[in-house]
Amino acid sequence: MKTNLYQNKMLIDDLSCFFSNKCVLENVSLSIIKNEILTIIGPSNSGKTSFLRTLNRMNDFNSDFSRKGNVFLDEENIFHMNMEKLRMRVGMLFAMPIPLPMTVYENVIYAPKRLGVIKHGKKSEMDAIVEQALRDASLWDEVKDRLDSSAMKMSGGQQQRLCIARILAINPEVILFDEPCSGLDPISTAKVEETMIALKKRYTIVLVTNNVKQASRVGDRTAFFLMGRLIEIGGTAKLFVSPKEQKTNDYITGRFG
Amino acid sequence: MRKIKDDIIEKIIFFCGILSIVFVVLIFGFLIKEGISFFKEFGIVDFIIGKFWYPSANPPEFGILSLIVGSVLVTVGACIIAVPVGIMAAVYISELAPKQIKDILKSLVELMAAVPSVVIGFVGMVSLAPLVRVFFNIPTGLTAFTGSIMLAFMAMPTIVTISEDAIRSVPWQYKEGAFALGATKWQTIRRIVLKAAMPGIIAAIMLGIGRVIGETMAVMMITGNAAHIPHSIFEPVRTMTATIAAEMGETVTGGLHYRALFAIALVLFFITFLVNFIADLFLGRSKNK
Ligand SMILES: Nc1ncnc2c1ncn2[C@@H]1O[C@H](COP(=O)(O)OP(=O)(O)OP(=O)(O)O)[C@@H](O)[C@H]1O
Ligand SMILES: [Mg+2]
Repeated sequence: MKTNLYQNKMLIDDLSCFFSNKCVLENVSLSIIKNEILTIIGPSNSGKTSFLRTLNRMNDFNSDFSRKGNVFLDEENIFHMNMEKLRMRVGMLFAMPIPLPMTVYENVIYAPKRLGVIKHGKKSEMDAIVEQALRDASLWDEVKDRLDSSAMKMSGGQQQRLCIARILAINPEVILFDEPCSGLDPISTAKVEETMIALKKRYTIVLVTNNVKQASRVGDRTAFFLMGRLIEIGGTAKLFVSPKEQKTNDYITGRFG
Repeated sequence: MRKIKDDIIEKIIFFCGILSIVFVVLIFGFLIKEGISFFKEFGIVDFIIGKFWYPSANPPEFGILSLIVGSVLVTVGACIIAVPVGIMAAVYISELAPKQIKDILKSLVELMAAVPSVVIGFVGMVSLAPLVRVFFNIPTGLTAFTGSIMLAFMAMPTIVTISEDAIRSVPWQYKEGAFALGATKWQTIRRIVLKAAMPGIIAAIMLGIGRVIGETMAVMMITGNAAHIPHSIFEPVRTMTATIAAEMGETVTGGLHYRALFAIALVLFFITFLVNFIADLFLGRSKNK
């Protein structure tokens, strides 16, 4: 299966997911290539979020949830891994920006500090991590003078980029984005998109989006989900110009969904 | 028509609001009047730092230091027991307990809140006091320690229910955000949930303390009522509230003893006010942050 030149970062093998026995994801198999942006599109309720949340086991908190099939991260089965370690390697960003109820600085440093990346909380070391993460999230210039004010007072777009910075601070390998721009205005959206593209040099990114245009702008490859099934996956440019499946064509041309 | 109805309802609500303020002012005014007139006759300093409370001696002594110490001792003791246990119980109920256990615990806590203080005092007197006496090998089981335990019982339902509310209303997204960063359940509870719920938890603690400071019946029954300054928590003490309740019946209206009891009430009022004020200070600070 791994015959291509690219290195698989994650491999999803015949994954099916259920909420209280209702099947929401059916026999999905695909690979996520290192340093790509894989965009996932599809109408509401097609199982995009359920898929994404399975990749870092956020669904495990839900006692109604069950699954079949496996997911591998660097050939290691994620369901055999320590959950917290997995989530440090596979970070996730939600649709609603949810800064923790602390200052900007504390939000960014929260995870590294807790995870013991910084040993005795050396101030200079923490400052460096915070600055780097905020720079990578293209937020540094906007907040460098107000690191000690509450994160809740920032604009929605800034909060979303703060959430990105928070994930970057723990240096994950894969970042999962679930409709990160659904609550943002076009300018903030453009900033977040730029940030994502800049980040793919160092990270592997999976982006779920309701916005087909966004998928075509930032995706290297795109997968189309419909009613819990993976209908089609391929290079973004190709998928948008000449999809193999009629259903994909209908969706991207706005005929349904 | 609707406008008139709105107007009337607004007036009624306004009136109720004013009424509650009027009551507080009246009570306070009354306390001040009687208290001041007492202080004019018996110095305020002697009153506060006087060690002896002999209201019917000749000449009478009205020193309430031992009563203040008694109240503070019992209250602080009750808090030391009730606050950690109450908060942990709230965390368990809202975050960790399985559904059925959670429901059972919640109704038990509500039941606990409904037990009248006389009953708590009585149970403490016949069951806990002998236990304390035997266990610590002391002459009497009616001590500050016994009182603290029973008062902790009374404060617990308030602390648990209100903290539990506060913890439950922490947005699920905060927890999810922390989990997504690789935090464990315990780290999330400690660093995120408790932190976000802190204003509510502080309010819960304050209301709990309020109940403990103002409690009369139970402490009168189980603290031994000895008006002397104790050397340890395993000695009988007498609280301010118990003094007022026990002696009000024996005084002559308008007499010095009568007014002394009002002066105690004034001190009590002041302490409660101080506690609330400090709590507000804390809440204000955590909100601005
Ligand atoms: N926690 C849950 N409990 C029960 N059912 C769920 C849960 N989460 C999702 N589902 C169900 O799974 C199906 C797929 O939902 P999912 O959220 O994955 O879709 P989606 O593609 O992300 O949709 P959207 O574009 O609206 O976000 C839906 O039918 C939904 O009802
Ligand atoms: Mg979704």
